Amino acid sequence: MFMKIAVLSNVNMNVAVRMLGKSLEVYQTEGYGNELGLLMNPDSSLQEFGPEMVFLVEDLMELLGHDLEPAHAAEQIDRWFGAFSQTLKQDCIYYVSDAYLWGVELAAVADGGRKSALEQLWQQALEQCMAEHSNVRIFPYRSIIEDMGARNAFSLKMWYMGKILHSTQAQQALSEEILAKAALESRVAKKVLLLDLDNTLWGGLAGEADHTSIVLSEDHSGLAYKNLQRVILQLQQQGVLLAIVSKNNEEDAIKILQEHPHMVLRPEHFAIRKINWNPKNENIEAIARELNLGLDAMVFLDDNPSERQLVQNLLPQVTVLDFPEHPEELAPMMVQAYEEFFAKSVLTAEDLEKTGQYQANAKREALKSSITDFEGYLKSLEIRLIREDASKYTERMTQLINKTNQFNLTTRRWTQAEVQQILEDDSKQVLLYRVEDCFGDTGIVAVVVVDCAGEIPVVEEFAMSCRVMGKKIEDAIVEDVEQTMFALGYESLKGLYIPTEKNQPVAKLWEQMGYESLGTCAGEQQYRMNLADRPERVCFVQREVR
Amino acid sequence: MRQKVIALIEEILNVPRGTVTESTMVAELEEWDSLAHVMIIGELEQRLGVNIPLEEAIELSGVQELFEKAGI
Repeated sequence: MFMKIAVLSNVNMNVAVRMLGKSLEVYQTEGYGNELGLLMNPDSSLQEFGPEMVFLVEDLMELLGHDLEPAHAAEQIDRWFGAFSQTLKQDCIYYVSDAYLWGVELAAVADGGRKSALEQLWQQALEQCMAEHSNVRIFPYRSIIEDMGARNAFSLKMWYMGKILHSTQAQQALSEEILAKAALESRVAKKVLLLDLDNTLWGGLAGEADHTSIVLSEDHSGLAYKNLQRVILQLQQQGVLLAIVSKNNEEDAIKILQEHPHMVLRPEHFAIRKINWNPKNENIEAIARELNLGLDAMVFLDDNPSERQLVQNLLPQVTVLDFPEHPEELAPMMVQAYEEFFAKSVLTAEDLEKTGQYQANAKREALKSSITDFEGYLKSLEIRLIREDASKYTERMTQLINKTNQFNLTTRRWTQAEVQQILEDDSKQVLLYRVEDCFGDTGIVAVVVVDCAGEIPVVEEFAMSCRVMGKKIEDAIVEDVEQTMFALGYESLKGLYIPTEKNQPVAKLWEQMGYESLGTCAGEQQYRMNLADRPERVCFVQREVR
Repeated sequence: MRQKVIALIEEILNVPRGTVTESTMVAELEEWDSLAHVMIIGELEQRLGVNIPLEEAIELSGVQELFEKAGI
């Protein structure tokens, strides 16, 4: 399958991403929790990757920041969809998960209806978004979780260890569903359903002007045939062309189509009718010519195995459906065929209608929303960068340095004792940062160590948790480091980058910050900034020192 | 039980049978990265009922230590 997809989430979905990587080209995510930022930022690694499909698997509990107050939740959900709507690109398809609210505290909420009420808020917002945007679809997250049960789907241990919410089993099921959706979008949808009449649309044979003899009614197998027709009618109403290819006396068949009280499908529902005694392959070829469609756009339904065989052999491009043994299996079989062969063309036809209807609406919404671009989004996050006293958080600092792989400019591995020494060393400046935003406190997420022993101070370590990547927080940190060093009387600052397999995302950091490249020395790429000539950076982050 | 645990580790790491032994250290296997580590601990609990306390699970450096902490 040739398809570039991205899976974005507010929880760690890397297991699923790894599984999907075996079947298709998947965006290698930088952390999680920055879905909207990645979608909005025109320079993000996601934009560079250029996905054709984006899957947003959202954990509602995290998205709400554990605030289960319905009014707050509604606000948060509206805000999310408002921002999300601004990021949509015409040439990309978006699958957004429906909601399954899960969290340890949920069982202790006295109001038993809260879970479904909050899920419903999300559902409504998602449906509204789908109505306004033809390329947004629902990802059936909820049913995947319900099918395996929350007990099997979630793992608290994995959540605590690595913000991995879903068990391997759940990630497996989620990636299978993602693959199925990708397959659905990438296959060419069928356009025509070719239908036999006797023992297919109804039971029995159309006799001579005697339509009491056929089986089509409000009960027993008569109802099973009627329900098949109901499914087919839905297909027709959503853009699938229906054609009759049947060996009957035309007059008898038309009489039933027009007059039988239980017929759901009437003559006007069929784009074309070939009711005659000619071989079916000839009729089908004639239909293809008359409708000006390829044989590969056609699906054939007939109860007679020899007819199926004939079409299969002579017109292999036509899809021949297996015919079920019992009438009650007909409607479910048709639904399955719909999902497998027609679903996309149906969506497209429906989309066209929707688009016109909702265009005006969407425009109003866009004006109403204050978040119209990446900058607006960043502002709305109200990010605060707080410099903490590093000596109070030695353990966290050690962890950050040693566990951070992606946003780690030099990937030093220091023990806690070594970190302690660095903190006591007067020739080192250690800057430790906490980040807070409108959702709350994300904790201590970045550390910078500047070695001032030489003539020009050198940033010998700069690590930041991937949790906060992609929000231009690094810009504010560099700004803060530069100002600090400048205030201490230093005129320039050197930056280092030591490439590893994992820290590609920051390979261009110093250049992006306006540093001059000094070339490579012993595997270290060196950069320099004259602090008096620092470029002016647009910053959306408030800074403070604690 | 130890064999089952090793088999599960091998399955998650997607390595041939016999790659992981009691003396295998986490750092020795390229496949055993931090993500795989979390999956191993989570799956041991879900599939085999082997429970290693959180703080100890994070620190584990090898299979032998895993057996000790799990008490198997």
